[in-house]
Amino acid sequence: MLRFALRRTLYLAIILVVITLVTYAIFFAGNAGSLAARFAGRSAGPQAIRDAEIRLGLNHGFWYQYWHYLLGLLHGRFGLDFQNQASVGSEIGRAFPVTASLVLGAMVLWLAIGLPIGIMSAVRPGTLRDRAGTIFALAFLSLPIFVVGVLFLLVLYYYLTRAGLHWFPAGGYVGLSRPEQWVVHLILPWISLALVQAAVYTRLIRGSLLEVLGEDYIRTARAKGLSRRAVIYKHGVRAALTPVVTQLGIDVGTLLAGAVVTEKVFGLPGLGQLVLNAIYNGNLPVVAAVVVLAASFIVVMNTLVDVVYAALDPRVRLS
Amino acid sequence: MARSVADLTGPGEPPELPPGSGGVVEGRTPLQLAWARMRRDRVSMACLGFIVLLSLAAIFAPLITALIGHGPTTQYPNTGLSLSGVPVGPSRTFLLGTDNLGRDVLSRLVYGARVSLEVGIGATVLALALGLLIGLFAGYYGGRIDTLLARFMDILLSFPVLLLALALVARFGPSLRLVLLVIAFFSFPLIGRLVRGQVISLREREFVEAARSLGAGDLRIMFLEIAPNLVALAVIYATLLIPVNIVTEATLSFLGLSVQPPTASWGNMISDAQQGDLYTVAWWFLIFPCIALFLTTLAFNLLGDGLRDALDPRHGRSQVV
Repeated sequence: MLRFALRRTLYLAIILVVITLVTYAIFFAGNAGSLAARFAGRSAGPQAIRDAEIRLGLNHGFWYQYWHYLLGLLHGRFGLDFQNQASVGSEIGRAFPVTASLVLGAMVLWLAIGLPIGIMSAVRPGTLRDRAGTIFALAFLSLPIFVVGVLFLLVLYYYLTRAGLHWFPAGGYVGLSRPEQWVVHLILPWISLALVQAAVYTRLIRGSLLEVLGEDYIRTARAKGLSRRAVIYKHGVRAALTPVVTQLGIDVGTLLAGAVVTEKVFGLPGLGQLVLNAIYNGNLPVVAAVVVLAASFIVVMNTLVDVVYAALDPRVRLS
Repeated sequence: MARSVADLTGPGEPPELPPGSGGVVEGRTPLQLAWARMRRDRVSMACLGFIVLLSLAAIFAPLITALIGHGPTTQYPNTGLSLSGVPVGPSRTFLLGTDNLGRDVLSRLVYGARVSLEVGIGATVLALALGLLIGLFAGYYGGRIDTLLARFMDILLSFPVLLLALALVARFGPSLRLVLLVIAFFSFPLIGRLVRGQVISLREREFVEAARSLGAGDLRIMFLEIAPNLVALAVIYATLLIPVNIVTEATLSFLGLSVQPPTASWGNMISDAQQGDLYTVAWWFLIFPCIALFLTTLAFNLLGDGLRDALDPRHGRSQVV
């Protein structure tokens, strides 16, 4: 257990170093001058640009800056926003609850939609029900999230509102202090994200369950007299969940660092919007911070996934 | 769906001979068999037809827009916008209506197909080549090379891809070539890992041993003995990767980080339509690019599934309790 934890920590450290280095290299290599010029303002002379360079800490060499950034990270400091000199950490603190509300809510929905449809499909392959499930999955697999979101806005917000039904707002976010408004504002983003994601999970569990149900031990379980239901749910689904858990780890880890497109479509001020604006403006500290966050979420989720594996599959516990 | 031919050639039932072949059994290559299976699958053939038509439209885009009589970036302030500056809907002059600047939506759709297919297919071909190469080397040599390459691909897959793609595009300026390269670079590990897994089991097979005992070198075994066995897998996964890459490009376009205006792409058309809630007065300008994007990705997805059924008939069939 200790070795496992140590290995994970080491892995996280390596990933973080690599990923911050890549982010820094993307933004910095030969770019300090133009970054400084951007923040010095349009009409800045050479002296003002020079000042900006010093103010933003861009006058030092690449490795020096990078090293100081890593040291800062170790102390939990994400640096200062280039644009308004605010602490990046507190900006992230404001944006994260929005993203977390969106992603965790959507996750519950997409599992609740995707898994039952996929299981129903796999249990009776080739039937009408299977066909319907497959069509559902294919349709939403072929729809990019922004298309779903925009179409929802057109039909459920605009047409309904024009018809006098003010059920859904056009976008925006309301904090948890007003729970019913929080839900109302998040319903469309939740459903959009969930439908697109559910398609992936429907396919995943269908394929994986079909494979598992073809295994010998399933036949054995059936032969020793277990009911069909018990075999499918206790032996089949449980084993078939492994790839689902892997995918869930990747998806939630990535999305928690910003569901960029969903947030943009629905105007949610989460991490995705934050990083998107920072990218448009060359605001490196914010981009770097969100990328670091994303990488850590992914590694943390991977670790959680390994723990869940052990619960799902007895063979993992033995080795 | 595709069981008929596979079952006919299975043991027990002798294959039915075509009339007039005089009892001579004609050998059919696996590819011919797969094609025969494909031909019976109407959905796949319809998708293939759609993709061919779309590709032709994309290739001959200048010709088509000349026929329509409206260029993709030309603004028609007099005929394409109403007196109050609102886009006009579908009509005889503008078959699919106009956009916020009075440009012909149909012409822009045709040119948008160019961007989507160029990036979708181009990035996939590049990813396929890279994935095959790296997967082959990692799987065939094993040991330290394998560990290194497999780790590399794992790390790439655990990167927050969209964020890094956004950062790259923002730093080096949006361009179609950069978008294509970025998408290829982040999608090749998907193919690389699959290929590696296959190669690991293939390299232990007798035909590899036979080739080696005949004096074949590593490169010859890798590219002439093992690689042909990967064709089916590669074709299936490449077809399924194309729609993913088309969606990624459209997403970057939607975020304003792919081709730049006035060049049309389906993603930036949708983004134009959402800007300032324009879709509320001009639904056509939002709906048509959405439909184009949906039909294209759907066609590739369905074709990929059909190809899998045709090339690998054992897949997806299991003895269900």
